[in-house]
Amino acid sequence: MLEIKNLHAGVEGKIILHGIDLNIKQGEMHVIMGRNGSGKSTLSNVITGRNGYEVTAGDILYKGESILDWSPEDRALAGIFMSFQYPVVIPGVNNTYFLKAAVNSKRKYNGKKELDAASFLKLIKEKLTEMDMEAEYLQRAVNEGFSGGEKKRNEILQLLCLEPELSIMDETDSGLDIDALKIVAKGINNYHNEKRSFLVITHYQRFLKYVEPDIVHVLIGGKIVKSGGKELAIELEEKGYRWLEPA
Amino acid sequence: MTLAHYQAQFDQMLVRDYFPDVIQPIRKKAFSKFLETGFPTQKWEDWRFTNLSHLKKQLYRISDSRDLPITAPNSSTYTMDGVETLVIYNGHYQKELSSIPNGIRVLTGLEYFHEKSGRIETAAENPFDLLNTAFMDSGLSLVIDQNTNVVTPIRILFISSGVDPIIVSPRVYVDINESSSATFIEHHVGDAAAIFQNSSIFISVTENALLNHIRIQSNSESAQHVANLSVNLLRNSQYNFFQFAQGSGLDRSNIRVKLKEEGAQCTLNGLSLSAGNQHLDSQILMDHLAPNCTSSQNFKSILQQSSSGVFNGRVIVREGAQKTDAKQSNKNLLLSKQAGMNSNPQMEIYADDVRCAHGSSTGELDKDALFYLRSRGLDTLTAKSLMIRGFAAELLDSLKHEGVKHYLTTAFDTWIMEKNKK
Repeated sequence: MLEIKNLHAGVEGKIILHGIDLNIKQGEMHVIMGRNGSGKSTLSNVITGRNGYEVTAGDILYKGESILDWSPEDRALAGIFMSFQYPVVIPGVNNTYFLKAAVNSKRKYNGKKELDAASFLKLIKEKLTEMDMEAEYLQRAVNEGFSGGEKKRNEILQLLCLEPELSIMDETDSGLDIDALKIVAKGINNYHNEKRSFLVITHYQRFLKYVEPDIVHVLIGGKIVKSGGKELAIELEEKGYRWLEPA
Repeated sequence: MTLAHYQAQFDQMLVRDYFPDVIQPIRKKAFSKFLETGFPTQKWEDWRFTNLSHLKKQLYRISDSRDLPITAPNSSTYTMDGVETLVIYNGHYQKELSSIPNGIRVLTGLEYFHEKSGRIETAAENPFDLLNTAFMDSGLSLVIDQNTNVVTPIRILFISSGVDPIIVSPRVYVDINESSSATFIEHHVGDAAAIFQNSSIFISVTENALLNHIRIQSNSESAQHVANLSVNLLRNSQYNFFQFAQGSGLDRSNIRVKLKEEGAQCTLNGLSLSAGNQHLDSQILMDHLAPNCTSSQNFKSILQQSSSGVFNGRVIVREGAQKTDAKQSNKNLLLSKQAGMNSNPQMEIYADDVRCAHGSSTGELDKDALFYLRSRGLDTLTAKSLMIRGFAAELLDSLKHEGVKHYLTTAFDTWIMEKNKK
C-alpha cells in the first residue's frame, strides 16, 4: 500500500528525515513513536504533500506509484487521509457544506454519482452517531469553537465519510481525555479492516491500549532506529527513548 | 480646463431645465461653491488614497434625449424575486417598466420639492455633494406615510448604457414616517463605456420607524461612481444599510449618519469585491449626537489582481451622547500580491459613559486552511472559493429578504468563479 524508500526530506532548507524506509501492506496498522522533533510530523506532511516540504532523496510509492509530484488533493482522492495533529479552524465555512463537497469530489473521482443533499444527510447522520457527536455540529463552521476533543472527533468523522485506504493519524490521541480517546479509538477500530491500512503517529504508549498495531517503529533524529511488535511500545514506556539513541 | 467644461455643461443645464425658477438659485449657489473648491485632490485628508485623475480628465456631458434607450432596455437580466422595481435609464425614468408597490408614494424631484415647500435637505460636505445639487437631473423620492409597513422591498434600478461620456446625477429622498417600515434597494447596473454617476441619497427615518437599505453597485468596470448618502435618524428609529460593491473602475461612497435622538439604532454592513485596476472606497461618518444610541459597522473587502480599496470609518460620540454603544470592524482579504488596502478605523469620543470598540485586519488566505481543504480532496479553486465564501458568509447571511439574499449570493459566487480561476 505505502512504500517509503530511503526518504530524505525537510522544510525551509533544513533536512529532518535522514533515510526512512517503511513498508505498510494492505490492512496493516503501523505505529511510529518518537519524541518531539524526531521528524514524525514531517513524515506525515511529506506523505500528504504539504507545501514547503522538500524531498531531497528517496521516494514514496502508493500502490506502486511514486506520488512525490502529486498535489495534496490528488493524494487524497487516491485514498490517502491524514487526521491532523492541529485541525484548522476555517471561519464561515459550514461543516456540512465542506464535507459534502469533499465526499462528492471523491465520489466523482471514483466514477460514482454525487450525493444529493438528502442522501448526504443520511450518511453524515449515521457517522455522527458512530462518533457520538450532536447533529448541531453540522451547522457550525469547520472546527470553529470546537474543543480539542471535538476537533479530533471531527477528524475521525471526516475519515469515516471519505473512506480512505491509507489513514495517517498524526498524534490523534494527544490532548484527549480518556472518554474521547476511547471514542476515537473505537472509530478507528471499526473502520480498520484487512483492506484498510493505518499509520499511527504518537508520543504515548497509552493509545496502543485501545488499538492493535502490527508493527511499532521508533523514530529518532529522522531515522527509524528500531521496529518491533506491540511489546516494543511497552518497553519504550518503561525505559524511555534514551537507550535507543546513538551514543 | 475641466472646470470650464463643467461651466459650459451647467449653462446648458440652466437653459434646458424644466424645473421651475425656484430650483435655479439652489443649483447656482451649489455650483459657484463647487467652482471655488474644485475637485478634491490627494492632499485632502479624506481623499489621500483615492486618485481622481481619470474622473477629472474625462469631459462628461449632461445626459439628454440622445441617451434614452433606443429599444426597451432588457431589465429581465436584473430580475430579483419578490421586489417591486422602478427603472431609471441613463437618468431617465422608465415608467412603463416600473411598478409601484402599495403603501409607498413615489414622487418626482419637483413633486417632492413642492411637498416640502421648498425646504429640502441638502448637503455640502464635499465637492460631489455640491456637484449633485448643481446638476441633479434624475431620481425619484419615496415617501412612506406614518403607520405603514411595506413588506415588499422597493428597488430603484439604475441602468447605465451607451458609449458617450455622460454625467448622471440622481437625487433620491427616502422618508420613512412615524412607526412605519420599508426596504429600499438601489441597484446600479449596466454596460456604459464612460459614465460618471454622482448620486445623492437623503434618508430620514423618524420616530419608531425602520428602514432597510440595500445598495448593489454592479456598474461596468469603466464607470466612475460617487455615492453620497446622508441619513438622519430620530427617536427609537432603526436603519440597516448593506452595501454590495463589485462594479465601477472608481467607486467612492460617502456615508454620513446622524443619530440625532435617543434610542436610534444603525447598522452599516459592506462587502466590496474588486479586481483588475478597480478602486473601491468607503468613507463613513457615524455621528452620535444623542444618548442611548447604538451603531455598528462591519465592512469587508476582497481584493484580487491589482485592485485597491479604502475603508475610512469615523465614529464621533458627541458630548452628552452617553450610553452610546458603537462598534466598528473592517476586515480585508487580499487575493493577490498586487492588491492593496488602506484601512483606517477611527473613534472620537467626547462622552465618558460609552461602549466603543473597533478593529481592523488585512491578510491573505490562510495557507494551513487551504492545505486542510485540499488534503480532503478539494482542488485549489474549490478550496479557495470555499474560504472566500466563508470570509463573506456572516455578511451575506445577515440579509433577511430571501430574494435579495439569493441575488447577492449568486452574484458573489459568479464573481469568485470569474475572478479567481487561473
